[in-house]
Amino acid sequence: MTASGPNSSGAPERTPVPHPQAGQLFAASAASGTVVRMHKFGASEPIPKSGDAERLGELLRSAAQLDLHQKPGPQLASLIRSTFAVEAVAIFDADLSETYQAGEWYSDPEQAVRNICVFETVRDDPETGQIARVLRVGTMPIGGLLVRGELTEDVAGSIAALTAITFDRWHSLANEMRLESAKRAEQMRTTVLDSLAHAYKTPLTAIRAASSGLVEMGGLTAPQGGLVSLIEEQAELLNQLTTRLLKTARLEAQTLNLETIAIAPFVDEIVTGAREQLGAVQVRIEVAREDLTLRADRSLLQALLTQYIENAGKYADAESVVTIAVVEQPSAVAVSVHNFGPAIPAADYERIFDRYFRSERAQASGTGLGLSIAKQAALAHGGDVWVTSDAIAGTTFFASLPSTKDEVSA
Amino acid sequence: MNRGKTIRVLLVDDEPAIRRALKTALHELGFYTVEASRGEEALLLVRGQEFDAVLLDINMPGIGGIRTLERLRAFAPRLPILMLTVRDEEEDKVEALERGADDYITKPFSIRECVARIRATVRRARTPERAEDAPISIGDIEVQPAQRIVKKAGKPIRLTPKEYDILYYLMAHAGRAVTYGRLLASVWGADYREEVDYLRTFVRQLRKKIEDEPSNPVYLLTDACVGYRFSEGSPRRRRDEQIHSGEAYLPLA
Repeated sequence: MTASGPNSSGAPERTPVPHPQAGQLFAASAASGTVVRMHKFGASEPIPKSGDAERLGELLRSAAQLDLHQKPGPQLASLIRSTFAVEAVAIFDADLSETYQAGEWYSDPEQAVRNICVFETVRDDPETGQIARVLRVGTMPIGGLLVRGELTEDVAGSIAALTAITFDRWHSLANEMRLESAKRAEQMRTTVLDSLAHAYKTPLTAIRAASSGLVEMGGLTAPQGGLVSLIEEQAELLNQLTTRLLKTARLEAQTLNLETIAIAPFVDEIVTGAREQLGAVQVRIEVAREDLTLRADRSLLQALLTQYIENAGKYADAESVVTIAVVEQPSAVAVSVHNFGPAIPAADYERIFDRYFRSERAQASGTGLGLSIAKQAALAHGGDVWVTSDAIAGTTFFASLPSTKDEVSA
Repeated sequence: MNRGKTIRVLLVDDEPAIRRALKTALHELGFYTVEASRGEEALLLVRGQEFDAVLLDINMPGIGGIRTLERLRAFAPRLPILMLTVRDEEEDKVEALERGADDYITKPFSIRECVARIRATVRRARTPERAEDAPISIGDIEVQPAQRIVKKAGKPIRLTPKEYDILYYLMAHAGRAVTYGRLLASVWGADYREEVDYLRTFVRQLRKKIEDEPSNPVYLLTDACVGYRFSEGSPRRRRDEQIHSGEAYLPLA
């Protein structure tokens, strides 16, 4: 840091170095209403001290080198005071709603400096020796500056502009870092979840092999068989849970890999692949037209449809028909999976897609992850999911995925 | 080759708990087992003694499952090898199948499924190779390669040449998981390995011709994310097998 110490009240000895941003700064102060009038001073105005430009340059350099990992307010307040040898400085940052002070204030300037921002007061008060400036980004007030001491109008305006620019820089950097760290935390979570889920598979495999092995060997009494079946059943539940966790973790980490998918054979494939889960349920497939295609990520779309179909199979009345329909809309393709079965309460229509949410009707075993996977898959495409349900008409899960007609497949 | 009753299995997995559970159960069910915790160890063992099947974990430290598979294949081209995989490792499964694995079992699996898969693979390996032109009959589907004729329940079915090629390839490899890539390469040529959508469209047409209920196929089955598998034996039996190998616990009678 080149922040000059309290001795900088004296004329700086070094040759002023033109700073690339200094021009901008003066321009900024001119834009905010203060006209730079180097040779035209009113009687009441303080005589410009020789070296004002050098001091501004100094402040500019120091501000440019501020450590922006810390809030710049306290540093700026003391820099302004020392560079311009004023008695006291107070700065208000409206975004953080914080006030920073340097020097000696006889009464707390907090309210006064806030009011500068709120009422947009620009004032030089010779009585109290206080100079008030609004900190602005563009036309928007983002804070206030209150100085007790001698400054020309132009210098005060420039300091205000510099402070505003520094605050703005800090806020955008802080936002960027927040985003970055949120992204890193998400990546970390995904990795942890992924390895955790994988680590679970080993003991689960041993448990499943051991319990099913006991069954195969035979000779178990009825209560023994019952206990073994409980072990198997619960191991399977844990297995589903880890598989789903793994899937959600992957889904969140995934970037879309768009390709043109022929819908009719794609749906066929998923239905025939989910045969085991569908059991005795009949499936009817209605695709708008045989050659309908959609630009989408194959694995995500598969996750979505598989989830809907498995879900329908799970809750469908015995021997009933599950209908999968794909219809074309002006700018989207809507997929729906309908089944007859217990109704979902209207209050759950939204929440049913939340992670870990399990509806009251969810008598069947499950992890509460499946539908959230479907939702994420649709959202990733810029689409949406919803459900309608009625005890008589049945339950229909919908997913709408935008079709980008202008996009030509590779 | 040992044609007796005892099937000799080489069990390769780096997890002792999995080996312990499998070894105990398989032994109790009449299999002879030898364990290895690494691929390197497995490669040494197959040089020293004969096995009827290898259960090979795909994720292992050292040279890993896939490279072990390749080296085992180079050494013993007809040795039945079953990969032990985890559900979400679809790409690994495909790679293993394309590099010569006979089948895969998804962890966690039941002993019943494991035993059924070992027996089926060993049985296929012991079946003498079928002559190119010999007819194949599965359930009520019959193919006569010499004339390229397909019949269902005795009645001829009209197939396009590509549909026929797909059907013939799958039936000639009945019971095995055939990856999309392998099927595409064999029917259309290696340049078409990626055209999965294309294949799906043909399979859809084919199912309409050979299945009673195309959305509930009993012959031309989908092996999720991997490819297709033509049912082995009659569909009725296949369904029973499916139930047995499924997730459900079957109570003792």
